[in-house]
Amino acid sequence: MDREVIIRADNIVKKFGDRTILSGISLDIYKGETFVIMGGSGCGKSTFLRHIIGALKPDSGKVHLLGKDLSSLNEDEMDKLRMKIGMCFQSSALFDSMSVGDNVSLGLREHTKLDKSVIDIVVKMKLEMVGLRGFEDMVPSQLSGGMRKRVGLARAIAMDPEIIFYDEPTAGLDPIVAGVIDKLIVDLSKKLNITSVVVTHDMKSVFSIADRVAMFYEGKVLEVGQSEQIKNSKNPMVRQFISGSPDGPIKFFRQKDDYLERLIA
Amino acid sequence: MQMKTEIKNGLTVCYVEGEIDINTSPGVKKSFDKLISSKTPRIVVNLSKVTYVDSSGLATLVEILKNMRSYGGRLRLSDMSSKIKSLFEITKLEKLFEIIADEKEAVSTFV
Repeated sequence: MDREVIIRADNIVKKFGDRTILSGISLDIYKGETFVIMGGSGCGKSTFLRHIIGALKPDSGKVHLLGKDLSSLNEDEMDKLRMKIGMCFQSSALFDSMSVGDNVSLGLREHTKLDKSVIDIVVKMKLEMVGLRGFEDMVPSQLSGGMRKRVGLARAIAMDPEIIFYDEPTAGLDPIVAGVIDKLIVDLSKKLNITSVVVTHDMKSVFSIADRVAMFYEGKVLEVGQSEQIKNSKNPMVRQFISGSPDGPIKFFRQKDDYLERLIA
Repeated sequence: MQMKTEIKNGLTVCYVEGEIDINTSPGVKKSFDKLISSKTPRIVVNLSKVTYVDSSGLATLVEILKNMRSYGGRLRLSDMSSKIKSLFEITKLEKLFEIIADEKEAVSTFV
């Protein structure tokens, strides 16, 4: 069965100065799947995420999002497209001066002509979905880290997006709360038929939510496949990353000679 | 989105057509505001020609129900596609509304 491609990255290259961050990433992400991008710090996964939401432009290569070539869109067209996607940030990115309800309804108030009474009902519906019934009048500082993440999630789904992007959704959470967030990601994806793209290096999270997984290493896709396939990968780098072993082909420290050369450069 | 109303068996039947989403929900609400301001006692909304409802559409229907209840009015929804019905189930709204399989039944049993 042919699956509908909802995001296509075609040979994306990005450099910051003389450092190559992405060196030719090509990936297809399908409608309705939960796609996880994993890899160590600095492997380019968050930079890649910024490219597929149009926040960064590649030096070369193309991104197609919901059938549109991002390089061909003007600002207005890009804004319209962004209304169809939701973002869940690592830090939750809530406005501390606003109530939970106002944080969730921000996009609806800014981009629609809906009456306040209708927006208030949407907010209640979304907070119910993330298990925060009755929290609309609280402010973010009164909430725990896990609750803040759930408010961020309610805000991400407020405008019924077709795709949600998650950047390290379980970072800094205890294992139980992380499990709650993982379950929510899966439930919302399946119930609302949302495509989810999750960037993480939380291994427990990867294999509890992913339909497919891509492992990034030094700006390249090392391996991509079904969750089980990656879990049982024979690639020594993938195996090392999953097991979290300090010994293996992935070196944490650069070569000593390189360090000495840099000192006297 | 388009809407027309007919009087059947002494009650108002509304036929909504198209999508009820972020763009069209304000228009749907406006159309019902007229019926609500005249305190229409019983309304059946036939949704057979509604192709898509998003959260703002669901919230608009909740708002209409809330406003009708404030003066003792009653609202029934009929002829919902299975796709739209599943949305009501996911959002737990199927327990809030009177959802009747078809318009004929909704009208004939509406007392």
